[in-house]
Amino acid sequence: MASVELNNLGLTFTVRHDKHITLKDFLVGRIFRGFTKKPMQVRALSGIDLQVNKGERLGIIGHNGAGKSTLLKVLAGIYQPSEGSRKVQGRISSLFDIALGFEQEANGWENIRFRCYLQGETPAGVDAKLREIAEFSELGDFLNMPVRYYSAGMRVRLAFSIATAIDPEILLVDEVLSAGDLAFQGKAHRRMREMMAKAQIMIMVSHDLEAARGVCNQVLWLEHGTVRMLGPAGQVIDAYQGWAGTAQQRGESNPGGQVVQAAA
Amino acid sequence: MIFGSENSTLTQYLREVWQGRYFWMSLVRMDLRSRYRGSALGMGWSLLNPIFMTTILCTVFSTLFGQDLHTFAPYVMTGLAVWSYLSQSMTLGCLCFHQSEAYIMQHPSPMAIYPLRVVLGNCFHFGISLCLAILLALWGTGWPGVLPLLSLIPSIGLFLIFGWSLACIFGLMTVHFRDVKHLTEVGMQVLMYLTPVWYPAKLLQERGLGWLVQINPLAPFLELIRSPLLDHTVPPPMVFGSALVVALLSFATAAWSLRVREPKLIFYL
Repeated sequence: MASVELNNLGLTFTVRHDKHITLKDFLVGRIFRGFTKKPMQVRALSGIDLQVNKGERLGIIGHNGAGKSTLLKVLAGIYQPSEGSRKVQGRISSLFDIALGFEQEANGWENIRFRCYLQGETPAGVDAKLREIAEFSELGDFLNMPVRYYSAGMRVRLAFSIATAIDPEILLVDEVLSAGDLAFQGKAHRRMREMMAKAQIMIMVSHDLEAARGVCNQVLWLEHGTVRMLGPAGQVIDAYQGWAGTAQQRGESNPGGQVVQAAA
Repeated sequence: MIFGSENSTLTQYLREVWQGRYFWMSLVRMDLRSRYRGSALGMGWSLLNPIFMTTILCTVFSTLFGQDLHTFAPYVMTGLAVWSYLSQSMTLGCLCFHQSEAYIMQHPSPMAIYPLRVVLGNCFHFGISLCLAILLALWGTGWPGVLPLLSLIPSIGLFLIFGWSLACIFGLMTVHFRDVKHLTEVGMQVLMYLTPVWYPAKLLQERGLGWLVQINPLAPFLELIRSPLLDHTVPPPMVFGSALVVALLSFATAAWSLRVREPKLIFYL
């Protein structure tokens, strides 16, 4: 029985101005404290309590930088929470950043294989799916070519075909995937609907409020990395739309996650 | 994806590494294939590279210093095999996490598989060079005996542990300090002259620099391969012991640093 549970979960990460400190910064910084640029701590999520059970379709909404994608990555287990706990039962399949992570020099077939392995498939499982994935991608002979020569659209097609060739227990989706040309998008859309219906739990980050209203039964509204509202889809989305409307009238901008302090 | 989030225990962590085996094995295969993609000789280069190097060094040393080829050629070949394995574990290991950034961002696999990817690729080349060295030793110094040959098996195990640890340590350091990659490349040049890779160790001893070899942590690994192939003896307990200590110490360092750094690693990539 699939379930997801977050208890008072928080995530703080350190961002440096130029991302990497050099050895010089490190050594000099130790000797002359205060000379070097201080890293900033970003409080991306705090105090998140969430319980998702079998059959639930949870949408995550909020303005840019509210922590939606970060929360999804925590749910997927990619980011480790700084505090609180995360308990997940069931196999997680995630659909985000799918166009990343191709081996450029390898051809389409090889990429299909190793991405399936990354998703936890066995060689026998991949053999069974190989044809179906190739057919869905409609890439034909291009699959014999190194992925380096693929256009952006072809890459997305291949990535989407691989990523969705699984039977997910817990499905995590970031935004609506715009995959390939118009004809393919229709197909991709249908495939997504099927997957969402099959999954025991579906959690999706969405900017398209109407889509969220149609697909989700629960919605989580995130603001500054905390839960602003959690409840039935219609209710939360109405509240969010109302708030967004008045915020627009007041001309408020929407700052993202809070930068709390400069760390020593 | 079958990896959970709580890797609290070692056995569970190792199980996750094992569960991901098809993934990292296919990465290793792809690395090997793409390294030689488009070249006419393909994998033949891993065979030819050490042969060329050995031929060149042997020609130079036998004409300049009158070294006997029968002992010197296998000496150089074993030295090069061990040296390129260890130095590549460090230099390629530096980038092991950066190179796999896209996968780290998508799936919560245990990070230990990325140094493993580098080391297994290296191991393949090491294996080829080692086979060549054995053949050369058979030609040069004759049949070493069964027991000395069998001693290579646990030795290769130590090489694997040591190689993984080096790749992991250097990878972690590079994630935090980008300069490490360049420092390592320079350091390798220095280290190569401090290690009796292709010059006879006697040269150092004659000049009273024998201690350089004694404190060099890489030296016992050279001996592990050279004693059975060149001297036809099982490596002395002292050599085996020091290699074991070096391998285990580096493994402990690597495992501990990985355990501490792994949860935060993704934010530094």
